[in-house]
Amino acid sequence: MEQTQKTDVIVTEGVTKVYAADGIPVNALNGIDLTIQSGEFTALVGPSGSGKTTFLNIISGLDSPTDGKVWLAGKVLSEMSGNELSDFRRDNIGFIFQAYNLIPVLTVEENVEYIMLLAGVPKAERHERVITMLESVGLTGVADRVPTQLSGGQQQRVAIARAMVSEPQIILADEPTANLDSKTGADLLEMMRHLNAETGMTFIFSTHDPMVMESARRLITLRDGHIDTDEAR
Amino acid sequence: MILKIAFRNIFRQKRRTILTALAMIVGFMLLSVTIGLSDGAYGNIIAMFTRNRIGHIQVHREGYLDKPSLYKTINNASTVGETILSVAGVEAWTPRVYGAGLGSVGEKSTAVQIIGIDVARETEATRFDKKVVEGSTLGEIPAHEAVIGKDLAKILSARISSEIVIVSQGADGSIANDLYKIVGIAESGDDLTDRVACYLHIEDAQELLVLEGRVHEIVVIVSNINRVDKITNVIETQLNDSTLDVAPWQVVAKSFYRAMRTDQQGDAIARWVIMLIVAIGVLNTVLMSVLERTREYGVLKAVGTKPVQIFWLVICEVVIIALGSICVGALLGALGNYLLSIYGITYPEEISFGGMKLKTLYAEVNVRCLVIPAMTVMLSAAVVSLFPAIKAARIMPAKAMRTH
Repeated sequence: MEQTQKTDVIVTEGVTKVYAADGIPVNALNGIDLTIQSGEFTALVGPSGSGKTTFLNIISGLDSPTDGKVWLAGKVLSEMSGNELSDFRRDNIGFIFQAYNLIPVLTVEENVEYIMLLAGVPKAERHERVITMLESVGLTGVADRVPTQLSGGQQQRVAIARAMVSEPQIILADEPTANLDSKTGADLLEMMRHLNAETGMTFIFSTHDPMVMESARRLITLRDGHIDTDEAR
Repeated sequence: MILKIAFRNIFRQKRRTILTALAMIVGFMLLSVTIGLSDGAYGNIIAMFTRNRIGHIQVHREGYLDKPSLYKTINNASTVGETILSVAGVEAWTPRVYGAGLGSVGEKSTAVQIIGIDVARETEATRFDKKVVEGSTLGEIPAHEAVIGKDLAKILSARISSEIVIVSQGADGSIANDLYKIVGIAESGDDLTDRVACYLHIEDAQELLVLEGRVHEIVVIVSNINRVDKITNVIETQLNDSTLDVAPWQVVAKSFYRAMRTDQQGDAIARWVIMLIVAIGVLNTVLMSVLERTREYGVLKAVGTKPVQIFWLVICEVVIIALGSICVGALLGALGNYLLSIYGITYPEEISFGGMKLKTLYAEVNVRCLVIPAMTVMLSAAVVSLFPAIKAARIMPAKAMRTH
């Protein structure tokens, strides 16, 4: 891996999120201050309801904090318009979801290609990068299938390919191995570790999976909406 | 890609697409048939009213229409008629003489309207021979014969071969009276006319009323009723006679025309109601579709699709379905109107409009019955999809992806 200078890619300051559940306010996040540097392979852990997914959603601009600020690659998310935020996510963040969240009407190739198409990448380059990416995630010969024709492991590989194909700075993965058997989960985790080492992309996971926790080089434990422990390995 | 996703979504959710398309197709057909029947009914009424009675254009002495008088006559009817016939688009013309009088058969008497007609021209112009339902039409040479209205015959208890005495006032101020043999009984389709009309040969009428070759009215029939206004202007220019009034049927039958326009406005309200039903149907199905796919929109937005692109995705889907529905609706609507233009809808009892009797309502296949529904479906689809499209575009990805 090429040695690069570490920079702060994610900085949060007093991030708070309050939900109204049946009219009763529930604090999902209680003033989280955190800095994540480029190239990190970080896992957010904690019991259900501790705020892991909410935190991932807020640092990616998928949700807005009730209070506090988020800097992503030097930009303040709350100062961006809807369109700017969409462009920013497209160019800087790759998402891997627990439920894969592929676009059901598009084929594997089109799903992976979609983000590059939005970014205006020329057709020939798109095609080449899709083929390379599908090969690197071990998905050859399924480019023309739609998501429902794939197994859960294959769908998650497509999701990983989609997240990585545009070479974003940050990959956010919400319980990426939760719906996979342990072997498939281990394979995909190994693949992501390899990509992290190869490309220097920043990976942040929310997880309950001990295997993911073991692989992480930084383990942040959330409890009741605040950081309980933050352990570098 | 947005268009591709829109297309594929349409085929992926077949049940929803069919429901949306059905709402649009049924709305299109309803509107198309309503317009077809409405246009057909008015077309028939106007055709019956003009072609069988008043003609498309009438020429009178100045002021006759506002205040009819025995003395307001056209002196050179043949010259005027031939000039009119030379105008492009004019199919036929026929002169008429009018007078009021008292008709008596035996001991029964009633008020009659004397209508002097040129039998050959009247038959060509307004199909007078078809109106004679009993007996025969008038002869082509004057023979003191009369054809009377059906209801007038009942009032006077007159039969074919009965003799009718008509007493009136001549244009010279004398008392005019003469005896005519009833050769036919006519039914014009207009109650009032059938109660008072007493048709005489034009020369017999001119002799009775001492008009000496003069007429009160020249009726003009044109080949295309939609060109009536233009032809009226051309006739006016060609005649170049300021003592003559040339008026299209809408002016001649002002009250009939006004009643028809009012009725048409009522139809327009019915059309708006149908348009509203179509719009609500479309809104309902489009909203359902957006709600069903909230999660998908959330994912699209999460991976970098701009709100404006999601907005267009929803609009595209609805517009594509609307275009397909318009094609199917146009075919079915045209077919429905075509069948109704042949077989019509028969009322259990005759209905009357402006004195005209209608038993069967026929539709008309025209451009309006396709264009108006097409515009209605497309516009209502586009307008009602705005709200769901905005809703989808403004979706918060995290919240959207939590929905199932």
